[in-house]
Amino acid sequence: MILITGAGVISAIGIGKEQTLQALRSEQGGVAPVHYLHTEHKECMVGEVKESNGELAERLGIAKDEAMVRTSLLGISALREALAQAGLDHADLSDTALVNGTTVGGMDQSEKHYLEYLDAAEANQLGKDGKVPVVDYIRTHDCGSSTDLIADHCGRFGMTTTISTACSSAANAIILGARMIEAGEYDRVVVGGAESLSKFHLNGFNTLMILDQSPCRPMDATRAGLNLGEGAAYLVLERAETALARGVRPLARLAGYGNACDAYHQTASSSDGEGAFRAMQQAMQMAGCKPGEIDYINCHGTGTPNNDPSELEAMRRVFGETLPPFSSTKGYTGHTTSASGSIEAVFCLLAMQHSMVPANLNFAEPIQPWAVPIAHTRQAQLRYVLCNAFGFGGNDSAVLFAADV
Amino acid sequence: MPLDSAATTVLSFSPLMYNLYTDCPMPIYVLSANQISLQQPLSQDWMHDPVLPTEPFTRSIDPDYRPYVSPIEARRMGKLLKRALATSIQTLRDTGIEHPDAIITGTGLGSVESTEAFLLDMCRNGEQLLKPTHFMQSTHNTIGSLVAIQTKSHGYNATYSHKQISFECALYDAWLQMRTSAINNALVLGQDATTPNYYHLFNLVGYDGPEMKCTCGEASVATMLATSVPEGQTPLCQLRGVSLMHTPDNRRVAAALERMQVPADVVVLAGYNGLAANDVMYDRLLADVLSQAQVLHYKQLFGESYSASALGFYAAAHWIGSGQYRQILLMTIDRSGDVALTLLEK
Repeated sequence: MILITGAGVISAIGIGKEQTLQALRSEQGGVAPVHYLHTEHKECMVGEVKESNGELAERLGIAKDEAMVRTSLLGISALREALAQAGLDHADLSDTALVNGTTVGGMDQSEKHYLEYLDAAEANQLGKDGKVPVVDYIRTHDCGSSTDLIADHCGRFGMTTTISTACSSAANAIILGARMIEAGEYDRVVVGGAESLSKFHLNGFNTLMILDQSPCRPMDATRAGLNLGEGAAYLVLERAETALARGVRPLARLAGYGNACDAYHQTASSSDGEGAFRAMQQAMQMAGCKPGEIDYINCHGTGTPNNDPSELEAMRRVFGETLPPFSSTKGYTGHTTSASGSIEAVFCLLAMQHSMVPANLNFAEPIQPWAVPIAHTRQAQLRYVLCNAFGFGGNDSAVLFAADV
Repeated sequence: MPLDSAATTVLSFSPLMYNLYTDCPMPIYVLSANQISLQQPLSQDWMHDPVLPTEPFTRSIDPDYRPYVSPIEARRMGKLLKRALATSIQTLRDTGIEHPDAIITGTGLGSVESTEAFLLDMCRNGEQLLKPTHFMQSTHNTIGSLVAIQTKSHGYNATYSHKQISFECALYDAWLQMRTSAINNALVLGQDATTPNYYHLFNLVGYDGPEMKCTCGEASVATMLATSVPEGQTPLCQLRGVSLMHTPDNRRVAAALERMQVPADVVVLAGYNGLAANDVMYDRLLADVLSQAQVLHYKQLFGESYSASALGFYAAAHWIGSGQYRQILLMTIDRSGDVALTLLEK
C-alpha cells in the first residue's frame, strides 16, 4: 500500500496549501492579465504565481549570483513544503528518490539570452560582466538540469529523474514513483512537477489558436480556449509500512493509476476519448473501484473546444450518463501544463481532507445535458477521487486517491 | 475493450526486501536494436568497417526514409522525428511486434531543431507570425507520440528528459514494469539531435570542444525489450538490470554493483570522451570500485551527445549478440556526477 505523507503546492491561487485551500473554498481565482512575464501579448489572461523571480529567490534564500530558472524556483518552494509536512530532512533524502515532471525547464532564461549566446559563440568568448554569467543559463536550459536545481536545493536525493510528457508530466511522475515503490526499489519517492510560464510556450499555444483572451470557461458550452498558468506541486509517496513506522500521519492513499496513448494526433484529442477512457479504466481497475464509488473527478478540463467534449465522452464511456460530481479547477490557476497533474492532485487531497468539491469556475451552460460540473464549491465527503491529466501526443493519465488509510 | 490486465495486479505485488536484479526469475531479452548515427544508418557495418569521424562535429547519416514514412508526411517532420520513426519501425519489423505494450523515450533536448527554429524566429522577429509546426514538434514527447500515432499503439507512453542519462531513465522504467509483470514488451528509444548552433553553445560551456577526443555527434536508437522471445528469433542479449544514482559516492556505487551481482572482472563500456572533466570521473570511480575490469570505449565510434549512451547500449547488445563478449556493464556518468549502470549479458 502506498500512502501520501506530504504535499506542497504553489500556483496562481497561492503559496502553500493554506492559501490554496482558502482560495478553493472562497472561489477566488488567480487568473489575471499578464504581469510578470515579458511578452508582447499583454492581452493574454494567465495564471501567474504572484512573486517575481527576485522575490521567490529571496524568500527561498537562493544566492543572487546563482543561475536560476523560474521553473526551479517554483519547484523548490513546493518541494520544501512537501518534505516538511512529511517530516523529512536532509538526512532522510539519501534513500529517497525525486521524480519531477517538466517540459519548459529553463526556457524562460534561454529565451531571454539566446541571441546573446549565439553572439558569444561567434566571438567564442564568455560574457562575465553581469552578476550571473549569461552562458550559465545554457547549463540550466534542459529539463533534467532544472530538476537537479530543485533537488539539490532541498538536500541530496538518492536518485533524480525527469519526465517530460507535456501536460501529463507530473501525473506520470506520480505513476513512476508508485511503480518504484511497488517494485521494491525505494520506500519513499517524492513525485510531482514544476513549470514556469515562458514566452516560448505562451506563443506556442497562441500559434495553435487555443488561448482564450478572457478567463477560461472549462466544461462550458461557450468555452473558447485555455489560459496558461504556472506553478509546482509535489507529493511524498511512501510505502505504508515505512510511513507507519515513522509515525507520520498519512493524507491519503494512492489507490490506482493509468496511462494510455490516444494515438490520434500530436495536439488534438480523439472524439471518442480513447486514451482518456483507457487511463481512467486502468486506474479504477487497479483500485478495485466501481463507477458508482467515485465521489469526485478533477478533470483535465482545459477549456479548449477540443479537449472538454473528448474528456466528457471518455467519462460517459466509463460512468454512463450519470457522471460523478466533477469540476475542472483550471479556472482558478490557468493550465499549469507539466505541473498540472500534481497541482490538481494536491487540490484533490485538500478536497478529501476538508470534505469539499472545488468549484468549476466560470461555468454557465453545459456542453451536454448530462455533463453539468460542480459550479460552486460545496461540502461533500469524498472517499475515492479521480484526477485526470492529459498531454500533447495524446498522453493521457489518471490517478486515483482513496481517503481510507 | 481489451485493457492491459496485467497492470491491475501491480499494487498487490509485495516486494519487501526483494532484489529485482537477482530474485526475479523472469528474463528480459533485448530482441533487436537499431541506430542512426554518424555510422552507416540502420546497419551494423561499423562492427567491421567503421566510419572514422575527422571533424569536431559530425551529423548523422540519414538513410532513405521512404521505406518508413511517405515523402508527404516526411516533409512536415524534422530530422529527429524521421530518425526516431525509422529506427522504431525497423525495430518493430525485426521483432514482429506491431503494438508494443509500452513506448518509452529518452531525450536530453527533444527536437532541438524545431525548438531552435521557434526560439530564433521569436527572438529575432518578435511574437507575431510564428509557426505552429515548430512549436508542436519542439515538445519532448512528440517523438514517442509520433511512433504511437503512426503504429496506432494505445499502450503506456512516457518520455524522460534527464541530462545524459535520459536513455537509461527510459530503460529503467521499462525494466521496472517488466520485472513487476505490468508489461511484456517495450520499445525503448534514445533520441537526440545536435544543431550547429547547439554545437557552438556546448563549446562555450565546455560540454565539448577541440580537446575532446571524439566528435560531437547525434544519436537515434530504438530497441525492443521483451519477457519472451518470439518463435524463430534469436535475442541479442538479456538486460539484467538498471541502476540510477544521483551524485553517489563510490561506496554507494559499489553497493549497487554488489546488488546487481556484477563480477569484479566485468567488461565495462564507459563513456570516456577525452574531456578531462568527464574522464576523471570515470577514472576515479573505476579505480575504486572496478579496478580489475576490462574497460572499453564507444564514443570514438559514435560521438558525444545527450543520447550517446543509447548508442553504447546498442553497441554492447550487438557485441554480445555476435559472441564477442558474454557480459557488458554500460557505465554512464553525467556532467553533474549522476551514475547509470546497465548490465547486459548473453
